[in-house]
Parts: sequence; structure tokens; C-alpha cells
Amino acid sequence: MLSFLFKKEHRVEALIYDYLDNVERTQENFLKALNACIDNPFCENFEFFIDRTHKYESKADDIREEIKTLMYGKTLIPDARGDIMGLLEAIDTIPRLFERILYIIQTQKLEIPDFLMPDLKDLVRLSLECCVLMRRQVVALFKKNESIRELLNIIDTHESHCDRIERRMITKLFESGITPFLKLQLKDLTVQIGEISDQADRVSKRINIINMKRRV
Amino acid sequence: MITSFLGGIFLGWSLGANDAANAFGTAVSSRMVKFYTAAVIGAVFVVTGALLEGRAGIETLQGLTAFDLKKAVICSVAAALTVTLMTLLGLPISTSQAVVGAILGIGILSQRLDLSGLGKVVTCWVATPIGGALIAMLLYPLLGAVYNRMNLNLFQSDRLLKIGLICSGAYGAYALGANNVANVSAVFVGAGSMTVFNATLLGGLSIALGILTFSRPVMETVGRRLVRVDPYSALVVVLAMGVTVHIFTWIGVPVSTSHATVGAVLGIGILRSVKTVNRRMLGNIVIGWGLTPVLACLFSIALYVASNLYYVPD
Repeated sequence: MLSFLFKKEHRVEALIYDYLDNVERTQENFLKALNACIDNPFCENFEFFIDRTHKYESKADDIREEIKTLMYGKTLIPDARGDIMGLLEAIDTIPRLFERILYIIQTQKLEIPDFLMPDLKDLVRLSLECCVLMRRQVVALFKKNESIRELLNIIDTHESHCDRIERRMITKLFESGITPFLKLQLKDLTVQIGEISDQADRVSKRINIINMKRRV
Repeated sequence: MITSFLGGIFLGWSLGANDAANAFGTAVSSRMVKFYTAAVIGAVFVVTGALLEGRAGIETLQGLTAFDLKKAVICSVAAALTVTLMTLLGLPISTSQAVVGAILGIGILSQRLDLSGLGKVVTCWVATPIGGALIAMLLYPLLGAVYNRMNLNLFQSDRLLKIGLICSGAYGAYALGANNVANVSAVFVGAGSMTVFNATLLGGLSIALGILTFSRPVMETVGRRLVRVDPYSALVVVLAMGVTVHIFTWIGVPVSTSHATVGAVLGIGILRSVKTVNRRMLGNIVIGWGLTPVLACLFSIALYVASNLYYVPD
């Protein structure tokens, strides 16, 4: 009913889903690139997936800009405008992190030592799981199809687990016999990967607040 | 005859320009509703309110004292002068208080003042912000319970608030027209130079003219400057203002939409234990509340005396 009055709002909603799809594509390509790197750090696939990750990250940026322009052209009440823009900017940090992590590996020609591999795979798996849950939470905010609070709790648990893995990896690194320079490089990489779940947790909490704000 | 009505038309115009912000200020200043949409809706509903329910207020004001056309014009001009001066001083304006103050001045001079009618009017002035606060305190949890039960998502909530703000703004404009039209033209009915229907039509149209031609800057600045509340509270404030002013329309006393609005904002502040109106603003309202009728009374006395001075050659 009265949907003809809210054409711009419908367009913003559609663009947000489009944006989330792009973040998902970025994540898929990030994982493919990382897997390719673990198999063979200097293979062509790695370069290919880095390009694809960059492409989807840029496209997500473009969509975010389109949403911003549309919203400030008198769409949505100011409160909702601010909430959505803040949320999208917070989410956008994650695809940028994906890109940054791949560039660290690519430009510094990093090879992951075997003793770090199981923890690294666990950290990546859990961090990406947090991102999937976070996207579900964003959809729940707009569609009310599942509990935002429950998703927040799962993300929070995953994030704590990621923190433990991150600490364990850094401890192992500094106990190993690899060169100090490599230790620092790998520590930076571990911290950047750990940042994914931290950011997903921040976004998740922000979504919860946006949702709570809408209750009287 | 037509020029005699100019004071009233000017008063109606300034009333429309200033008070429409209480109905649509939040929606327009936050760019939820385009100015022209708000202005057209406001103008239509002001005229409708004036025509359908403006009679009671006119009857109360015309009963306060005896008028002839000259006194009616003096009343209008004195009220308009007061409104202009108060605007220049940056104090909150109540056109109702200005008009009643001016009528009071004429009543004092002609020694014919209906004190029971005046008592009713002053009681309603005191009751307006209190009524606004109480109605807002009632509406806030009541509508909130319904709103929460609907479990809306962000976009649905946005649409509902937007539609709600337009509807409550329209209702506020209706109440403004119904209640405040008496300020504009009651004195002319009292003077016998107009029928009640013509008075409501002229008053409604002059308020509508003010909304259409000069309410934009007031809506855009006053709406933002008055208070900073969340969209749901803004909706409750406008609705509470509309209900309060509408109740006083049934009682037959013109009151200030600004006072009802500030009362409603304070009510929400009390309910949520947050500070919604600053002390300076409250101080200005109290000063304006006391000063407006006194100034208008003095202006009408001065104008009446001046109009009765005759040049006596040596």
C-alpha cells in the first residue's frame, strides 16, 4: 500500500541487498585467493583472485556511493539515513581488509610456515563465518526474518574464539626459529586477519543498537 | 470597509507564517517532507478547520467586550504590532494572547469587560502547556506499545513515521485553523461587520496565505531550533499539540500552538527523564507568556487614545 510514494526507499533497499551481494562476492574471492596462496603462493590463480577481490570491492564502493547520493536526496528520515550510512561504512571496512590482507601476502611475498597453517585456517574460517552471520544480521534488520540478538551472541562467541587463536598464533610465531623480520611480517598478517572478526563484531553491535533504537 | 480588514488579514498572515512550523516544522526542517507539499496540505487543512470548527472561538472572543468597526481595527493592529515586536525581540509568540490583550485594552477603556469570559480564557492559557504535556505523556506510551507490537523493520518504520508525521501535521494544521481563526476575525464579527461564516473564511484564507508565502524560513529554522527529538517523539509532539489545541477549540478558547508544542516536548522529557527544552528557552517562553497580553493591551489603549485625539487650534 502507498508503495508508489516510496520509490526511492525501495531503490535504497534494493541497492543495500546489491551491496551485500558484492561484499559476499568479495569474500568468496578472498577465500579462493587465500586457498590458492596456501597451495602455491606464486601461482597465477592467486593473482587472478586478487584482481577479482579488488573488482568486487570497488563495485561495492560504487554501490555505497549511489546509496549515499540517493539517501541525501530526501530519502528516508534523517535518523535512518545516518544509521544506514554509518552501518554501510562500518561494513565496508571488511572488504577493504580482505583486499589489504591479500596485498600484504602478494607484495611481501609471504609464505605461511607449516606450524601456523592449522590455526590460520581456523582463524580464516571463523572470521569469514562471522562475516556471513553479520550479513544475515543486516538482512534481519531490514526484513525482520530472524533474531538480531541471537546472531549477535553467535558472532560475539566466534570473535572471542578468533582472539584466542590470534594470540596463540602470535605466541607460536615468537617461539619459532624463523627470522625476526619474518616474525613481524607474519604477526602483521595475523593481526589483520584477526581484525576481520573484530570488525564483524563491531558491525553486529551497531546493528543491535540500530534495532534497539527503533523500539519506543 | 475592505481596508478595515487589512489588520486582521496581516495578523492571519503572520499567524500562518509563524505557527505552521508547529505542525510541519519537524518534517520540513529534517527534509522528510518537501516544503510545498507541507504548505499545501497545511493551507488546505487550516481553511477546513476554520470553516468547520472556527465558530466557537469567535463567539468567545466577540463576547469579551463591545465592539464597533473602529475598535475592531484597533484590536487587530495592536495585536499585529505586538506579534511583530515580539518576533523582532526573538521571543515566542502567542497570537491568541496578543489578540486577547488588545481586546482587554479596548474593554478597559470602554469599561465593558466580561470578566467571566476573560477568566475562562486565562485559565485555558495556563492549561495549554499542561494539557500538551499530559496528552503527550499519555500518547507516548500508548502509541509506543502499538508501534513496538508491530515489530517493523527499518524501512517500514521509516514509512510509518513519515506518513504519521504528514497526517499529524495535517491534523495540527486543522486544529490551528479551527482554534486560531478567532484571533484573526472575531473582532470583526463582534463589530457586526462580518458574518461568522465570512469571518472563518477570511481568517482561514489569510492564515493559509501566510503558510503558503512565508512559512518556509520559519519551518526550516524554528523546526530545527525548537527542540531536537527523535522522529517518534516528534510525531507524538505534533499529535499532542493537535489534540490539545483541538480540545480548546471545543471549549471555544483560542490558545497558542507554540505553548502546546513546548508542553508536549516537556512532557516527553519528563516521561523519558531527559532534558528536551533548555532553560533559556523556558525563560523566553515565560517572559513571552507574560509580556504578550500586557504589550497588546497597552498598544490597543495607546492606539485608541491616539485615534481619539483632535487638533484644537489656539
